[in-house]
Amino acid sequence: MTLTHLNARGEAHMVDVGDKPESQREATASGVIYMQSATLALLAEGGLPKGDVLATARIAGIQAAKRTHELIPLCHALALSKVAIDFHLDEAESCLQVLATCRLTGRTGVEMEALTAVSVACLTLYDMCKAVDKSMEIGRIHLDTKTGGKSGDYARQDDHRLQGATAPLIGDTATSPIVTGEGAAGEVSLGPRCDIAAPCIRVKCLAELRERLGVGEISVPFDRLPSSDVAGLKTALKAMDERFEGLDRGRVLCAVNQVMAGDATPLTSDDEVAFFPPVTGG
Amino acid sequence: MIRVQQEAFDVGAEQEALTAGRTDIGAVVTFTGLVRDFNERPEVRALTLEHYPGMTESALQTIVDEAESRWPLLGVSVIHRVGRLTPGDPIVLVVVASAHRRAAFEACDFIMDYLKTRAPFWKKEHTANGDYWVAERAGDHQDARRWETPT
Repeated sequence: MTLTHLNARGEAHMVDVGDKPESQREATASGVIYMQSATLALLAEGGLPKGDVLATARIAGIQAAKRTHELIPLCHALALSKVAIDFHLDEAESCLQVLATCRLTGRTGVEMEALTAVSVACLTLYDMCKAVDKSMEIGRIHLDTKTGGKSGDYARQDDHRLQGATAPLIGDTATSPIVTGEGAAGEVSLGPRCDIAAPCIRVKCLAELRERLGVGEISVPFDRLPSSDVAGLKTALKAMDERFEGLDRGRVLCAVNQVMAGDATPLTSDDEVAFFPPVTGG
Repeated sequence: MIRVQQEAFDVGAEQEALTAGRTDIGAVVTFTGLVRDFNERPEVRALTLEHYPGMTESALQTIVDEAESRWPLLGVSVIHRVGRLTPGDPIVLVVVASAHRRAAFEACDFIMDYLKTRAPFWKKEHTANGDYWVAERAGDHQDARRWETPT
């Protein structure tokens, strides 16, 4: 057994993966953040001061997975084909379990990406909830499974994971919708979430655009995009539903993973893309 | 400090929180925006503010970071309310502290101009003649452009 990140002189180095064959790689990791039961209840209801905690933590985890190579010195930059973050509420243990799945076809494993996604999602949960609970504790971050690659498959044996199967799986659909407060005409239709088996882009239409198009949220299979960018997504949306022709009427802005974007912005599976009218706050 | 919340805020308490225990602050400018009973149409009875959780907070943080890079500030608080509000209700608060007044006045003005054109909030007004979404105003964009050329 040798450490591949050390060379013959025991110095740290980046492994040359150029000669390794490409294969389908997947890794799942999980962690837990313990909190007071009142905090957990607030989180479930969406009543925390910083807003939709789970949606934000999910995006944070996805972004972190993509940037793992910037954080971990000897990690390669990877073109992940999928990053998924899920949450299990466990009221009995008064904690929230965070699960991350990363996938790509390539020459290196994605364990570090999955572990980084869990870690940063947990840190974001702490940040979002610390105003009401500073005693939260993050723990049990570990690799659950990995498949593909020369070292073969791995599944954690002494599985200390929570009995998550019995806890309800919660996602954006279970928490409060984007609309805050009452807007009688502001019906939000929350579409189905991305299916693990089918890589897709999650699309949200906000405010006036949502009401004008009559669509709040929709998942678009990634393989429907003629090009892997926002322009390709718009084409796919119009092909799926003619109501999306309305994206070309008036000024419609776009954000990818909550950062302002344009037609040329590249997309990867599981990205969140929001379309919305010009802002009118203040 | 940045908060997006449904609850009302206390201007005095927020200023106190920003300046507590400090003697290096020589100027505090606060701006409070209120809901008017007239806008594009008369008789506004209420408005509903929608936002994009997550992006809202990061957009506000970016604006505050930009202000802090332009002026020597000693503290900034931005609170924006969401949900249903009625005329007279406070809707947004910006508190800026600095050693001297000019930086605080200018930074507060800058933050509001950028907030109105860059932070993902949308207003829907409920009037006697029905509900409508507020449209963007050219004047807001002109105001924001004032800050693009360094003075």
